[in-house]
This record gives sequence, C-alpha cells and structure tokens, in this order.
Amino acid sequence: MTSDTDKTRRFNELAEAYSTDLYRYAMWICHNDALAKDLVQETFLRAWRALDSLKDVGAAKSWLITILRREYARTFERKVPKFTDVEKVVVVDDDELAPDERLERDLLRRGIMKLDAKYRDPLLLQVVFGHSCAEISEQLGISKSAVMTQLFRAREKLKVQMQRDGVTGNVHELF
Amino acid sequence: MSMNFSEFKKLIGADPWNRDSETLRARHSAPEFEKAANDAETFERKLQSALHIEMPADLLKDIKKISHQPAQRRNWMPLALAASLVIAVGAVSMVWKQSHQWDSVEAYLADHYAHDGAAVLGHSSDNISEQDLAEMTGKIMASLNASAGQQLTGRIKFIKFCPTPEGRGAHMVVNTDQGPMTIIFMPGTQVTDGEMVEFDQMHAFMVDLEHGSAAIIGRRSQPVESLETLVRNSLKTGMVET
Repeated sequence: MTSDTDKTRRFNELAEAYSTDLYRYAMWICHNDALAKDLVQETFLRAWRALDSLKDVGAAKSWLITILRREYARTFERKVPKFTDVEKVVVVDDDELAPDERLERDLLRRGIMKLDAKYRDPLLLQVVFGHSCAEISEQLGISKSAVMTQLFRAREKLKVQMQRDGVTGNVHELF
Repeated sequence: MSMNFSEFKKLIGADPWNRDSETLRARHSAPEFEKAANDAETFERKLQSALHIEMPADLLKDIKKISHQPAQRRNWMPLALAASLVIAVGAVSMVWKQSHQWDSVEAYLADHYAHDGAAVLGHSSDNISEQDLAEMTGKIMASLNASAGQQLTGRIKFIKFCPTPEGRGAHMVVNTDQGPMTIIFMPGTQVTDGEMVEFDQMHAFMVDLEHGSAAIIGRRSQPVESLETLVRNSLKTGMVET
C-alpha cells in the first residue's frame, strides 16, 4: 500500500513539475491543442507504467522529454497533419502586451512554426525546458558544437523571418 | 586569447544567458559587445514570451487520473459472463471490458468527448488536401490493424489517434447531412451491438465489429444510427499488418 501511495505521490510530483512544459513543447511541435494534450497524456501514461525504472529524480525531465519525442516520432509525426491552432490557446500576459509587442510576438510565433525541426527542437529544449547546450547535446544525440550552431541559426532565421514578414505586412496571414 | 566580435555574437546567439567568465569579460570589453549582448537578451525575452503557452486547466487533472489505474492490466471478463451479469443486475446498459481508466464504455465516451470532442468537431480540413487526409486516414487505420472504406474516408474531415478503454483507437469527425458527427473506433473494445448510450447533451450508437467496435456520437437531435450501415460496411477490422 505504502509503495503504491509513494508511486502515486512521485507521479503526481512529476506531473505538477513538468506537464506544463511538456504541453508547451508538444504544442510547438504538433501545432494542435487536442493532439498536444493526447501526446502529453500518452507520455505520462508510459511514464506511469515505467516509473519504477526511474531511479534518479534529477533525470526525470530528460526522461519525460525522451518519452514524448519517441511517442511523437512513433505515432504522430508522419501520420498527423500540421494543424495550426496555436492562436487558439492562451499566451501568458497576452493582455499586457502593447499592440506592437503583440505584433512582434505573433511574428515570432509564426517564425517558430516555420522552423525546421533541426533548428526548432534544440531551441525549444533550451527556451521551454531551460536545458543547457550540454543537456541538449545529450538529449538529441548530437555534438555540443552542432547544438550551438543550430541554436544560433535558429535565432538568426527567426530574426530574418520576422523582418521579412514585418516588412511585407504578412501579419494578417498569421496562422 | 580573447574572443573577437564575430565569435562573441555567435556565442550569445546560441546561448544568450551565458554567464561564464570569458563571455562576461568579452561583454564588458567594448560598447558594441555590450550592445550585442543586451540586444540578444531583449530578443530572448520576446522569444520566451512567444513560446509561453498556458496549459489547459483540465490537463493536469486528467494526467493525475492515470495514477488511479491499476498497475497491471486486468483480465478481460468473459463476454458471456459479463452479459449475464448485466441482465442479472440490470444496472448496466452495456457489455464492456475492464479498462484501465474507465468503469464503463459510457464513462469513457463521456470523459473522452468532454476532453476534446466538441473542440475537434469544429476542426476544418480546408488546409489539408483530400488526398492527404485520405492518406493519413489510411495510415492511422492501418496502424490500428484496420481500414476505412472509400465511402467513409470520403466523409472524414478530421482524424486522430485517441485513447480507448483498451489501447489506442481513432477519433474521426465525419460530414453528414445533419452536420458533423463523431466516430470513435475502439479496436480492442467490445460493446453491445445497437446499444444507444446517452451522456451530457450527446448520444452515441454502438456498433460491434468483427474486431473491436465503434461509437457514433452526435447531439441528441442527430440521427446517429443513420451512420450504422456506413460504419459497418466501411470499417474493416482485424487485418494483418504488413
């Protein structure tokens, strides 16, 4: 009984600590609220089943991200279209943004959605999960210098995309 | 050997919050370095704001429900026995298999539909070609060891994987003359054929298939049973995966 209670407590702690960031990550890779929720729930379902194998709590974040990425690659990536309903979900402090800041944010979001996975994934791991370059390197199985290059290029691409869209006034076509 | 400006820009472009001693030394070495670092941090705040999406309020609650399920899969109750219990007790309207999360198929349908049924009902496939949608339907159904015939595929406007009482299934939204309706394909779940289930403002017509089952869900004003023949003729189940 104690062991079951302990397992439930550990699971709930993981859910409280990481579900928001996992949902955010899922949302940015599949661009669809319903699918992101399914992906996160499936991730936690698998985590619950394999929780006994998680010996180091410090490794939990990377472990959950790995489960989510595998699940996405296994069942979602090639079989689900890229819906784009990011605009339907709530962005924190939305109302506090001035119109020009909101425009910039929307341009950025549009740019993030257009990024290739090789640039998007390390960027999300860094910004959403707060991973260091070394942690991203380990998570994605690529060298640290490759991570640095992709992060730099990701930001450069976003800046170029923002400038291009801003100049051409494409903001009306957002999402 | 100190960093030149180009190296510094690449470093802070990859890691804007880098605070190691070499980076800080370079940052304070000249005004253009300081400005580049400030610009990178400003951009980073915008990036963080853009990525900062609120999680739906009910998701954490749904995740925590997972821990209420038994650790090991329970054995299936033999259908005949289950059916006789249903008749004897008279309290349950449907034959169902023991599940991880739900006490009954009705509970599953109510829970799942409340989760995203209404939300995906309004999804438009305008940005997806019919061919892509048909291809995706084929792939999803094939991975569930099933197929959807042309007649059904032609009506599908949205499809995704979804949880079911026994493993993964498919959640479809189909066009009908009476408006969009939902079909949940449950490859591992058996139901009482022809049963009508009601939950919230919806009702569902249950179709037992050769392998698994389907629930046709609509508003109570919608004739969900009208899709029975389409579902029965189009959903082929238990195919051998190639």
